[in-house]
Amino acid sequence: MDWLNLVVFPVLRSVVLIVVLLTGFAYLTWYERKLLARFHARYGPNRAGTFGLLQPVADAVKAVFKEEVIPRHVDRWVYLLAPMLALVPALVIWAVIPVAKGVPAIADVNIGFLWILAIAGVESYGVILAGWSSNNNYSLLGALRSSAQMISYELPLGMFLVSILLLAGGFSLVSLVETPRAWWEWVWLWAMFPLFFICILAETNRSPFDLPETENELVAGFQTEYGGIKFALFFMAEYINMITTSTIMATLFFGGYRLPFGLLSDVVWLGPFVLAAKVILLLFLFIWVRASIGRPRYDQLMHFAWKFLLPVSIGYMIVTALLVVFFK
Amino acid sequence: MLNVAPRFREYETLPSLNDPSIPALPPLPTGESEDTRRIVERFGEDILAAGLHNGQQIVYVKPERLLELAAFVKDDPKLAYEAVVDVSAIDRLKLPIGADDARFQVVHQLRSYARKQHLMIVAPCVGNETPTVPSLGNLFAGAIWPEREVLDLMGITFTGHPDPRRILMPDSWPNHPLRKDVPLGGEEVPFTLTWGDPEFATLGKQILPAESVPPKLPPGMNRENMIINMGPHHPSTHGVLRLVVELEGETVVNVDPDLGYLHSGFEKTGENKRYKDFVYYTDRMDYLSSMNNNFGYVLAVEKLLGLEIPERAQVIRVIMSELQRIASHLFWLSTHALDVSGTGMSLLMYATRERERILDLFEMVCGARLTLSYIRVGGVWRDLPEAFINNLRDLLAVLPRYFDDYEAMLTHAPLWQERLEGIGKLSRADVINMGLTGPMLRGSGVDWDLRRDAPYGGYENYDFKVPVYTEGDCYARYLVRMEEMRQSVRIIEQALRNLPDGLFRTDDRKVSLPPRAELDVSMEALIHHFKLMTEGFRVPAGMVYHAIEASKGELGFFVVSDGSAVPYRLHVRGPSFNNLYAISKMSRGEMLSDIVTNIGSIDIVLGEVDR
Repeated sequence: MDWLNLVVFPVLRSVVLIVVLLTGFAYLTWYERKLLARFHARYGPNRAGTFGLLQPVADAVKAVFKEEVIPRHVDRWVYLLAPMLALVPALVIWAVIPVAKGVPAIADVNIGFLWILAIAGVESYGVILAGWSSNNNYSLLGALRSSAQMISYELPLGMFLVSILLLAGGFSLVSLVETPRAWWEWVWLWAMFPLFFICILAETNRSPFDLPETENELVAGFQTEYGGIKFALFFMAEYINMITTSTIMATLFFGGYRLPFGLLSDVVWLGPFVLAAKVILLLFLFIWVRASIGRPRYDQLMHFAWKFLLPVSIGYMIVTALLVVFFK
Repeated sequence: MLNVAPRFREYETLPSLNDPSIPALPPLPTGESEDTRRIVERFGEDILAAGLHNGQQIVYVKPERLLELAAFVKDDPKLAYEAVVDVSAIDRLKLPIGADDARFQVVHQLRSYARKQHLMIVAPCVGNETPTVPSLGNLFAGAIWPEREVLDLMGITFTGHPDPRRILMPDSWPNHPLRKDVPLGGEEVPFTLTWGDPEFATLGKQILPAESVPPKLPPGMNRENMIINMGPHHPSTHGVLRLVVELEGETVVNVDPDLGYLHSGFEKTGENKRYKDFVYYTDRMDYLSSMNNNFGYVLAVEKLLGLEIPERAQVIRVIMSELQRIASHLFWLSTHALDVSGTGMSLLMYATRERERILDLFEMVCGARLTLSYIRVGGVWRDLPEAFINNLRDLLAVLPRYFDDYEAMLTHAPLWQERLEGIGKLSRADVINMGLTGPMLRGSGVDWDLRRDAPYGGYENYDFKVPVYTEGDCYARYLVRMEEMRQSVRIIEQALRNLPDGLFRTDDRKVSLPPRAELDVSMEALIHHFKLMTEGFRVPAGMVYHAIEASKGELGFFVVSDGSAVPYRLHVRGPSFNNLYAISKMSRGEMLSDIVTNIGSIDIVLGEVDR
C-alpha cells in the first residue's frame, strides 16, 4: 500500500487546509467588520493591534475561555452535537475544490459536483438539530425557517449546478476549470450568476436571507441557547461556508485559480493566490449586500424561491441543454 | 457610629378640609358654550355643572347617565365627539369636599376631529372605598387602556369594561398607588458607615427567595397553539415591552401586550414635587423627545398660571420642539429600518449621525444631550449661545439632502415596500375610535395636527403642511414621518427668520428667577429668589388638560391645582401608551415578522408607555 500518497499527504493537506480555513475565517470576521463599519460610516475594530488586526485573536480567546453554559432544559447530546454538525460539512466540502493547476485541495474525484450537492444538503442538519434540541420556541422557529429555506433554495441551486454541469460535460471540478470555454458559454454563465448568488445567500443564511437567526424577530433564532465556544462554532460554520461558497462560485464562474486570458498559466504557485483574490472579491459582495439590502419576510422569501427562482432555473436548464446540444 | 436617618422632604400642608374660605376643588366651570348648552338642554338636571374653565369645555354628569351622555355626544351630528383621547381620575380625599361629595371623579377627554373641539366629561364615582363608574370602553375603544390604567392606579371599577385587568402594576400589588391615602413610598434604608455593623454581614450573600409563579395565559389565548413571549428582553420591542403572542405556524392569532416593567410612578412623584421641579422628570418619560415633554408640561402649568411668555422664548421653544421632532423621527427611522430589515444597520448609523448633530446643538444650549430640561415654566433656561444660530443654519442646509439619501435607500426599494405595504392596516374609523394620535392618525387619513388645529406656543404663526395619507398601513405612516421631518425643517427656518430679540424668560418674578446680577443690588430680587428656591411658585386652583403634538402623537398633561405649589393631581397622557393599544388589532392575522414592523411603526418609547 502506498502509505505516502494515500494517507500521509492527504492528512498533511487536510491539516494545512483546516489551518488556512480557520485563519481565513478569523480574518474574514475582521474583514467583514471593517468593511461593514465603512459602509456604516464608522471605524470598526481598531483597538486590538494595528487596524484591529488582533481583534479576531481577542475574540477567539474570549469565546474559548467563556464559561460553558448548558441550559438544563436542552436535549444535551444533540445540543452539543449540533455545532459540530454545522462546522464539519463546511470544511469537508473543500476536499474537491481545485486550488492550483492540477492540484485539488484533497482529491480530484470525478464526482466533484455531486460531492458539493450532497454536503450542502447535510449542512442544514446542524441548524435544525440546534433549534430542535434547544427546546426554545425561538430556536424552533429559527430551525423550521432554516430547514424550509434551505430545502427551497437547494432546488434552484441544484438546477443551476446541473446547467453548469451540462456546459462542463463532466463531474470533475478540476477539469471544469482546465477546460477552455467558448465566449458564449461565459456570457450565458454570467447571466445566471446573480440568481446563483441569491441561492448561495439563502444557502449560507446570510443577510438578507438570515431569517433563521433574525435578531429582530427571533432574538438569535437557532443560536439563542448557545454561548461561548459552541456559539463560536456556529459562527465559524457560517463564515467558513461563506469562504467555501465563494470559492465554489469563483471556480464555477470565474475560472478558479486561473488568471483571465490564460495569463501566466504556467506559474503553478500563483494559483492559490489568484483564487484567494477572487474569493476576497466575492466575499466583498456578500458584505456589500449585507450592508445595503433589506431582509424580506419569511413568506416572501419562500414565494420568491418557488414562484420565481425555481421556474427560472428550470427554464435556464432547458435552454442550456438545447444550447449544448446545438452549439457544442 | 454615624447614623443617617432617611429624610423625606417636608411639603407645606394642604388646605384644611374645614376652611370655609376655600372654594370647591377642582373649581366648577362657569359660563357656557354652544356644545355645553346643547348637552344641558338634552340632559337637564343630570348635568351637575357645565361650562368653560380655563377656556375648556367641561361637563359634570351624574355617573348613571355617563354612558348615555357619551353616546349622545358621539352620535349627535352637531357635537360629533368621535374619540376618547384620555381617561384619568382625581382622588379628592385631601380636597375640601362635602361629606356627600364623591371622593373620586373620572375625567374623560373627548375630541371631535371634524369640528376641532375638545370636551372634558367629569363623572363622580359611586362609592368612596370601592368606587364604580360605567365604562366607555364599548363605545370608544380608545378608553379601554386608559380605563385599565385608572382601574389599576386608582382602584376604580368600570362596570361593563371589556377587559378589566390591571395594566401597569403586578396583579398581586396590594394597593392602588395614585390614591391619596397611599404614601409616596420610600422604605427606610439602613445606612451606616461602619463595616463591622451586622447589616454588612450578609452583604453580597443575600439569596432572595422568589416564588416562581407560572405565568397566567392572557384571556382568549389557546395553549394548543405556540405561545411565544416577546420581551421584556427582546431586541426589537424598544425597551421592556412584553408581548404574549399566540402563533399558528408563523401566523399571529393573538397578541397581548404586558406593560409596566418600566413603571416608575411619574404621576405619583409629580404630585409630591413642586411644579418647577417636575420639569426634570418629564425628560425621563419619552426620553427620545424630552424637549417636547418639557414643552407640554410647561404649557399646561402656564395655562393654569395664565402666564404670558415673551416672544423670543416662544420662538426658541418652537425651534427646540421641532429639532427634537426631527431627532426623534430620525431615531425612529433608524430603529424601524433596523427592525424591519437587518440592513437598517447602515441606516441606523446614518440617521444617528445626523441625530448626533442635533444633540450637539442641544448640548450647546443646555449642556445635556438626552435629558434636557431646557424649557422651563416662564420661558427657557438660558438664552441661545452665539454660535447656535450658525450651527443650526449649517445643519438645516444639509438635513434635506440627508433625508433624500434615506428615501433613496428605502422609499422606493422593493423589499422595503413589500415589508411595509398593507401591513398593520388601520381604517380611518379604527384609528379615531381607538384614540390613536400623531402619525398613526395621519397615516390613516385623518387630517389632524394639534400644531395647526389647536395651536399652542405660537405655532399659528408658521406655515407648514400636515402630511396625510389614507392607506393606513405601515408604509403610509413611514411616509408621514418622513414628510414631517421636512416640514419641521421648514418651521425651524421660518422661526430663525423671525427670531426676535428680547427676553428669553418672563420677567414675572413670581415665576422666574431674577438674574444673578440683580441679587447683588436688589433686596426684592433676593426675596423672590429665596421664595422661588424654597417654596416654588403657587398656581391658582384649577384644572387643565393641555395637549401638544409631540413627535409620537398627542402628549397631554392633565393637571389639577389646589392653589398650592405642588400639583394636586398630575396625569400624563403619553402618545406611546395609547397608540400601543393598536398592536393587537394591527398584528392579528399577520406574520410574526410583522409584529416587529408594527411596533416600529407605532413608534413607542417604553418610558412613556409605562411612565
